[in-house]
Formats: sequence, C-alpha cells, structure tokens
Amino acid sequence: MASSGDPEFISSSTPLPPDGNDNYFKFDVILRFLLFAASLVTVVVMVTSNETKLVLFQGIPVPQPAKFGYSPAFIYFVTAFSVSGLYSIITTLASLSVVKKPHLKTNFLLHFIFWDSLILGIIASATGAVGGVAYVGLKGNKHLGWGKICGTYDKFCSHTAGSFAVALFGCVVTLLLIWLSAYAMQRRIPK
Amino acid sequence: MVSPVLHGHHSPVNLTPCPVPFVNTPYHFSIRDINIYKKNCGLVTIMEEGLSKGSINNGIGGVESKGRDIEVAKHASGGVCDLLLRVLALVLTLVAAIVLGLDKQTKLVSVQFVDTLPPVHVPATAKWQYASAFVYFVVANVIACAYAASSLLLVKIKGLGTLLSVVDALMVALLFSCNGATTAIGVIGFQGNSHLQWHKVCHVFSKFCNQVAVSIILSLLGSIAFLLLVLLKLHRRT
Repeated sequence: MASSGDPEFISSSTPLPPDGNDNYFKFDVILRFLLFAASLVTVVVMVTSNETKLVLFQGIPVPQPAKFGYSPAFIYFVTAFSVSGLYSIITTLASLSVVKKPHLKTNFLLHFIFWDSLILGIIASATGAVGGVAYVGLKGNKHLGWGKICGTYDKFCSHTAGSFAVALFGCVVTLLLIWLSAYAMQRRIPK
Repeated sequence: MVSPVLHGHHSPVNLTPCPVPFVNTPYHFSIRDINIYKKNCGLVTIMEEGLSKGSINNGIGGVESKGRDIEVAKHASGGVCDLLLRVLALVLTLVAAIVLGLDKQTKLVSVQFVDTLPPVHVPATAKWQYASAFVYFVVANVIACAYAASSLLLVKIKGLGTLLSVVDALMVALLFSCNGATTAIGVIGFQGNSHLQWHKVCHVFSKFCNQVAVSIILSLLGSIAFLLLVLLKLHRRT
C-alpha cells in the first residue's frame, strides 16, 4: 500500500503558492541586470578618469598625469568589477532561462546563492579598497605625510567618487540578490 | 488516497498516545500534516526541512525510524557546525579588533632640517587612529563580533533562521570591505606610491605594519567564517 501510494503522496503534498516563485525570478532578472549595468558604469567611469594637469615641480610647471593605473587598489577595483560584470551577464541569461523552464528552479537557487556570496565578497573588498585610498586622496593624511590630490585633479576625483557610489549601489544589489534567494528558498519549504 | 499502513517489523521511538483520530482514516500524508501532528501530540521526531515519507502506525504517530534518525542527525550536526562557525567568527573578529586596537609604535627618526646641521632625532609615533581605514576596520570588526555574540544566543529560536542568514550576508559584505580598505592602505604604507608622492612608512614602523598584517589575516578568516555560515544555511536547506 505504501509503495503504490508514493506517487500520490508526492503529488498530494501541500502545493506551493505559485505567485511567489514567479515573482521571485522576475525580480531576480531585474536585479541581475541592474548589477550588470552598475558594473559596466563603474568600470567605464573609472577607466576614463585619466587626467593630466600642470604641476609646479621645483618652480617649473610640469605636466603630471593622474591615471587609475597608478594605484594597485584602483586596478583591483576595475578587475573585480569586470569579473562582476561578466558574472552578472552569465547569471542574467541563466535566470532568464529558468523563467522559460521552471523545473530547474531549485538547482539554480543553490548556485545563485553560492556564487552571489563569493561575488559579494570580491565586490565589497574592492569597494572598500577604493574607498580607503580615495578618502586619503581627498583629505590627505598629515600623520603619514601623504598629501591630498583632489585639489589639483578635480576630474579624476569626481570620476573616482562617481565610480565608488555606483560600486556601493552594486554591492547593495548583490546583497538584495542573496536575500531574495534566501527568502525564495525558505518559501519553497512548506512550514 | 493513502490508507494508514501497518508496520509491524519495527517500532517507532518517542511515542505519545495521540488523541487525534488518525486511526482507520484514509489520510493524505505530507510534511505539513506531520508538523501539525507533531504539535498536537508533542512527538519530537520530524525534521523541518525537506520532504519525508511518513506512515501511521496503529493510530499512534511515528515515522520510519531509519529515515528519522538520519534526518535528525543531519539537523543536529548542521546545528553544531553553525554554532562552531559562529564562535569561530566571534573569536577571530574580536582578536583582529584587539590586535589593531592596541597597535602603537614610537621610534626615533632622524630628520635633517638643513643640510649644514647634523640630523635631529625626533620621536615619531604610529597609531592606528591616524588612518581612517584602520578606524573603519576596528569599528566593523567590533560590530561583527557583537553580532556574532548575539546570534549565538538567538540561533536557538526557530523563526529567525532566514533573518540570521540575511544579517550574516550583510556581515560578509561589511567585513570584506573593511579588509579591502585596510589592505589598500597597508600596501601603500608598505610600498609607497611614487606617482602620488606618498612615501612608504613600513620600513620605519615595522612592528606596527606587521601587527596590521596579522590583524588583516585574522579578519579575513573571520569574514570567511561568516561566508561559510551563509553557505551552510544553503546546504542545510537542500
């Protein structure tokens, strides 16, 4: 009796509310596209931030450039967000494919949370690094003898600030993605 | 429709005679019903996650005991891992905050004001408060430590599982960002930045820089512990 009842048992378990999971994947696609847009904007704004200004060096005005490549923290920032942009393209397409084929939902939820957490770690550390260096560039540090550079290079500083703000937004979007996946996983298990 | 099945060859454990009339009733068996049944009878056998098969035994509730033992064992080991990771995260972030918070070094630096006069020895101090990134690091680690301590107390309450996961992910982001900031400042202090005319300081204050490096590594391990907590919750839900 038990074995013949098994298929009925599986099908007669409490049905999941259909709305939550459909909405979940719609939000998921939207958020992943936002992450892609944020990563793209961040990288582009950072890369186009090169600026050359005439600086007085021993009485002679010398053209001195400021590029993002001069600081390892900025290079790491651009690399991390390029990786994040690539990741968000792949997962946006994956999420779109799940909308077409709903039977792959659970697998994708697991993978999404796992990779989203890793990418959150990478993105957050890159944002923190640029925040730390840009803050020293903005205010200077007289204890350590590091002068501020934003008084001279205003375009470079404004590009860096904009890039940092969009990067912060990207971190928030990734965090929201993890929360959404955790919430969707919790709802899949009928209580 | 599934009718109640009699299992004579094994007896379920932890039985309580149940007043709910399950006897001789065709009954659809599902995990929600098992949980409702659990609440009614006070039977502590069934795990909350995943699907499970159940059967009614002579009107007294029970589950196939083998499945039950495996599932309860999985739940228990997951809980132990959870607590262990939280304690680890607490200890690591606490030690990282303390190591950087007590970091101070004074050295006599010879400064030459004018070429003709001999160099003057001036005491120079390196404190962690001198860089904003270090202040952010200490504050973030203290916040993470406080959260780890409070979540140790809250982890037993059942309804908060997802909320704890959510805040765990937030702590991952916070800790990774403070690690990144301190590493960036540390690298500049170590190598200097000739383009921006920021000179290195670690060749003078080597003990200070070593303590910063140790602190960063400890905090990195603490943030990995929080990351594993998020992934452990994910693993337990499957």
